[in-house]
Amino acid sequence: MKKFQLPNNFDYKNTDVLRQFITETGKIVPARVTGISASNQRKVTKSIKIARFLALLPYTDMHK
Amino acid sequence: MNNYETILIINPNLSSKVGDFQKKFEKLLSDNSFEVKKVEDIGRRQLAYSINNHHKGHYLLYRMQGDPQNIAEIETKIKYDEAIIRHLILAVKDLSGEDSVLLTEALENKNKRTEIADEAPKKEVKKELLKKKKLKKKKLKRGGLLNEEVSITK
Repeated sequence: MKKFQLPNNFDYKNTDVLRQFITETGKIVPARVTGISASNQRKVTKSIKIARFLALLPYTDMHK
Repeated sequence: MNNYETILIINPNLSSKVGDFQKKFEKLLSDNSFEVKKVEDIGRRQLAYSINNHHKGHYLLYRMQGDPQNIAEIETKIKYDEAIIRHLILAVKDLSGEDSVLLTEALENKNKRTEIADEAPKKEVKKELLKKKKLKKKKLKRGGLLNEEVSITK
């Protein structure tokens, strides 16, 4: 069974996919925990950071 | 010629004037010899955190083609436009003609909202029906006909 749903192309707009890879506090889950390939982990990280900048995902749960 | 994806978050208070803004921005793009391939008006959306004390933002997505040296000019124009609370111009490999996930999500939410609005009056009708039934039962009780009703239902 696959742990995560991985799309063909990672997209910063697809927040449902990216939400699998952040913790409740908004941190990016490390590769040793996610277990996905290094190449995919880089893509995930990059798209999460873009999504955060555009206020689609939170940086933290401490936002006012 | 490169492919670009531009996301603009517009002040939600100016959400009603988005049409004018879009015309203005598209003129700016065409002046800088950018070709707009697709425009998506995603609409107002909850921000994950507040930007300049705004909790909502009106998202616009442009997929366009143009020369990289003209990007700087557009960036400066965007910077001094107070209607835009955040922007990002991304270079992308391919321009997909499909609707983005954000737009489909927004449309789904809109449909849901209209459905709920349609269902609301139905519920009221149901309530009225229930009330009528209760009234009938009460009348039956008063008339001592409850036993008969029970026998019918049996």
